[in-house]
Amino acid sequence: MIANLVLIFIAATITQNFVLTYFLGVCPFIGVSRKIEHALGMGAATTFVMTLAAMVTWLIYHLVLMRFGLPFLQYVAFIIVIASLVQIVEMFIRKTSPTLYRALGIYLPLITTNCAILGLTLFMVLREYTFLESVIFGLGAGAGFTLALVIMAGIREELECCDIPKPLEGAGITLIIAGFLALSFMGFGGLISR
Amino acid sequence: MGNTIVTSILSMAGLGFFFASLLAFVNQKLAVKEDPKIGKIEEALPGINCGACGYTSCHLYAEALAKGEANPAECKAGGDSVSGLLSGILGVAVEKRTKQIALVHCGADGSVRKKKAVYFGINTCAAANNVSGGENLCGYSCFGYGDCMRVCPFGAIEMKDALPRIDKEKCTACGKCVLACPRDIITVEKIAAKNFIFVTCNNPERGPDTRKACSVGCIACGLCQKFTGGVFHVENNLALVKYDNMARISNTEEVRGKCPTKCIARL
Repeated sequence: MIANLVLIFIAATITQNFVLTYFLGVCPFIGVSRKIEHALGMGAATTFVMTLAAMVTWLIYHLVLMRFGLPFLQYVAFIIVIASLVQIVEMFIRKTSPTLYRALGIYLPLITTNCAILGLTLFMVLREYTFLESVIFGLGAGAGFTLALVIMAGIREELECCDIPKPLEGAGITLIIAGFLALSFMGFGGLISR
Repeated sequence: MGNTIVTSILSMAGLGFFFASLLAFVNQKLAVKEDPKIGKIEEALPGINCGACGYTSCHLYAEALAKGEANPAECKAGGDSVSGLLSGILGVAVEKRTKQIALVHCGADGSVRKKKAVYFGINTCAAANNVSGGENLCGYSCFGYGDCMRVCPFGAIEMKDALPRIDKEKCTACGKCVLACPRDIITVEKIAAKNFIFVTCNNPERGPDTRKACSVGCIACGLCQKFTGGVFHVENNLALVKYDNMARISNTEEVRGKCPTKCIARL
């Protein structure tokens, strides 16, 4: 049981990293990876939303959609859930912690349309996870997203001082590096055999 | 089949309604009451978050203003026009400030500057300064890589002949360039007189040493001190200026003419 949960966490974080294996959430991966500080903020916000979204969508899927025999509506239902969830979280943070709101505030609306979150909920359904497994899956996916973002930000901070060919500046070199990172993450593939 | 259509419509409508009412409820429950003044003040502020007022962002300054904790004259970037707007919103009087401007205390442009080595590296003053003090013979001179130009939020600094030229109309004395310069060449001073002159040298070495390093450096001869009745005074081998007393100098052009190394500049 616990071994299975640990496995799900590690798989979601490293071997099946959302950004570097599935190439989900590449937009914030390119957009918010200029500074480690911002990458951490974005990562924390995404992890938070992913875990929450995994919980709520699991409940909706099993208690509403499955009961009425409407699993084909999962896309629509999940999008509604994620969008409203992010809104509520944003309002909640704004009320309780203005400092955290100022730090995360700009990232939260970005997460609403982050395909990594929708991907997470769809994988969760596809792999028939239990509630607890889904929560761990969400946490792991968030941690993996943060990891990828922070690694990228670290590299890009160093890259600022490098002499990059003009046509490759900015997004170009970032995508090339993302490719290298993805290659190196493939090396973790043998870590878990399933 | 008909049944599926009905249930799917009903369940989606239910889900939508549930989340909509939840959002409406949460919005009411967690509404953040913000002083309506803050929004107005923020609109009046320049919104460039330069930090010259002592607050990290325009928003924080607006909050402090609305609470009455801050002085509406602190916004240096906005100048008198913004202070006027702020006093209108807050209903308090704002005293007029003397115009302030950033001054560059180095007059050695690219053609005059003597070099002790050739620098190849990252093209910023901060980086050049880290490589054994840069390439210039004078250890107090401008590098000319334009760190101050890049940091200026108003585009008031232009690099010409590898020296920063400050646009006195655009400069708001926010002080960002003062912090950016690794050699502390730039200072922000009150422009207390119409005919404003200042010393374009920052080298505190003895006269002969300064002369060796630069042809337009202050050699501390003391002529300006004599001709300005003490408004300029030589201290630590460098002419310093009491800017507040600038109006006492009757003929600034004459003082400039007396300087043997021509290191007194007009604004």
